[in-house]
Amino acid sequence: MISRRSFLTTVALGAGSAVALSACGGGGSSAGQTGSAGNPVTINYTWWGNDDRAERTRKAIALFESKNPDIKVNGNFTDFAGYWQKRATEAAGGGLPDVMQWDLSYLRDYAQRNQLMDLGQLRIDTSGFEKTLLPSGQIRGRQYGIPTSTNAFAVYYDPAKLAEIGVAEPGGTWTYSEYKAWLAEVGTKGGGRYFGSTDFTGIWWQFTIWLRQRGIEAFTEDGKLGFSKDDLKQWWSLAGDLRGTGAIVPADRAVQLKPKSPFGSNVSASENTWDNFMAGYLKDSGAKELKLVPVPSDDADDLGLFLKPTMLMVASAKTKFKDAAGRFIDFMVNDPEVGQIFKTSRGVPASKTQREGTTFEGADKAVVDYETSIAKYLKDAPEPPIVGFGTLEAAFLRVNEELNYGKQTVDSAVDQWFKEAEDVIKQNS
Amino acid sequence: MTLTLTRRRGVETAPPARRAGQRGADIRAGYTFLLPWLLGFILLAVGPMLSSLYLSFTDYNLFEAPTWIGLENYTDLFADDRFLQSVQVTLSYVVFGTPLKLAAALAVALLLNNATQGQGFYRSAFYAPSLIGASVSIAIVWKAMFGDDGPVDQGLGFFGIHLGGWVGNPSMTMPMMILLTVWQFGAPMVIFLAGLKQIPTELYEAASMDGAGPWRKFVNITFPMLSPVVFFNLLLETIHAFQIFASAYIISNGEGGPAGSTLFYTLYLYLRGFSDFRMGYASAMAWLLVIVVGVITLLFFRTSKSWVHYGGDAR
Repeated sequence: MISRRSFLTTVALGAGSAVALSACGGGGSSAGQTGSAGNPVTINYTWWGNDDRAERTRKAIALFESKNPDIKVNGNFTDFAGYWQKRATEAAGGGLPDVMQWDLSYLRDYAQRNQLMDLGQLRIDTSGFEKTLLPSGQIRGRQYGIPTSTNAFAVYYDPAKLAEIGVAEPGGTWTYSEYKAWLAEVGTKGGGRYFGSTDFTGIWWQFTIWLRQRGIEAFTEDGKLGFSKDDLKQWWSLAGDLRGTGAIVPADRAVQLKPKSPFGSNVSASENTWDNFMAGYLKDSGAKELKLVPVPSDDADDLGLFLKPTMLMVASAKTKFKDAAGRFIDFMVNDPEVGQIFKTSRGVPASKTQREGTTFEGADKAVVDYETSIAKYLKDAPEPPIVGFGTLEAAFLRVNEELNYGKQTVDSAVDQWFKEAEDVIKQNS
Repeated sequence: MTLTLTRRRGVETAPPARRAGQRGADIRAGYTFLLPWLLGFILLAVGPMLSSLYLSFTDYNLFEAPTWIGLENYTDLFADDRFLQSVQVTLSYVVFGTPLKLAAALAVALLLNNATQGQGFYRSAFYAPSLIGASVSIAIVWKAMFGDDGPVDQGLGFFGIHLGGWVGNPSMTMPMMILLTVWQFGAPMVIFLAGLKQIPTELYEAASMDGAGPWRKFVNITFPMLSPVVFFNLLLETIHAFQIFASAYIISNGEGGPAGSTLFYTLYLYLRGFSDFRMGYASAMAWLLVIVVGVITLLFFRTSKSWVHYGGDAR
């Protein structure tokens, strides 16, 4: 009786582990497992974004599958914040999806820890890419990410709102004091209905650009901070006289609008961010037209601007389907029809073949025109940020928010951020 | 004597060998039936707990093998401003939220206990929030209700109180979170109600004969008779309050803001582990929480001797 029971248990356990073992097998060749039209392989692809991007991505996947009957793509998406928490758990369990949309902020974290594949070993055509852009997907000389598209930093404004309250549109070049005076004017004439902008000193990339205008890189080559406490003090003090006035959206309003931005919610007349936010802002705010001008600079010849990969395509170091992953990435970054599907919602296509195969109209054209107009000011993209950058950027935003709530002085805020930043750098070095 | 003998003889009639075999078989059968639960308990609870205990003494970033650093995570905690803030936020939530919730539960239970009609309906109606209260959708509704120009703002405005949105105001988020937990008083209320029904009516009758008023009856009869239930609810709700996570995560967009005012202990633990990739640190936080909640539970049991009266006590 008992022996039969234990016998059955043993059989059941044995059968279970046999299944598990067979699932682990397979692969091995340099191209990994490959499929055929009758028996396609399935790769997993994941991205972050809103419904708009999901719809476009599904179209692109369907197109890829029709052109490559031996590969099926299983798509999956979440919002940006949840995205990285999910990837972290997957990486810990050794189960990252085969192909992923990636952000520059996290490239070093995962590449340096051997989670991403060196894409140099796959057949991906990079001949259509600007030579200055590719290094931003490289860590220690290896290409871990291929940029899908580029974006540049800009000041967005809504001409209709400005006309409504009788404020002139910005001219195109401005110093910080001109910019601040303009924000103050919007605040005064907006009379509580419209504020000038979100506190621009809380945006990490805007800070980076300001540093670059002064010849400072945010991070040194050996992964330390390239700026001093005094630099940050100066930066956060820059908006000191605007906080608490109509020039800047009050913190309690901004907090309640999350995850939407005050600009997308029609609370502010302008916002500083990446130019590929156009489609999202138009959808959120319902505005007819939004315009872009370069960020302010006290040196009219040096705007500190650069093209950054909006997002990158990466593959898991552990994927069993190298060949399929490579072909899918190549398709997503180079195919002109993919460009037609995404337009500028991922930024301006990085590959020449894709860019030239795409027709840009209306808002998409405004984004492309903006990047063309600033071409003469563009410098090399900065290196992929240091390990733990996500934490630093979040802390930057949070400490600045506390500044806006009046919970901190500039001095204590700077001390707090430096303390957290040094802790992160120490942890990851 | 005869009885003992009979019994002993009765014992001896069963062959010893067969009895032992039968017992062993029973034990094996018992464990076999227990196996699904036992496996789950060992693999999904004990195993992960032990590995998190180990990780709490290491530097572990999820990607690379953990490295042993001894007590460093535990000592680092006390130099971490954000950690101290999360302790402060959580303690004020537990200290203010739990008694208020229990008071609300007891008050409604007392009212319902006297109701002659529709008790079943009201009991279900008041119980419902505690079923859905911890859900994501309620947190979203709460966020909308307490926003600028939300129903709460407008309602208070009607009485001339203008606080603006609570969600964006660091000094109002804690009252908002406490209201959310107080609103879920249904579960302790049902337990209180069951306890109230156990109190013999003779006691109240006797007290009435002696001319005791309602307050006197509550203090001298209801509360002492109910004290084991109060103790049970207090213990359960305190432990529960320490674990608050989902609603805080939703209301603050997973950030613990504004200005760290909803940075609850578990939320910070989660951010440390899954946003900052510091699993060792997060594990240390988790174990510290286990220890602190354990100590508080122990203190409750110690003090309970002086105020909890069990039926049949000499007191």
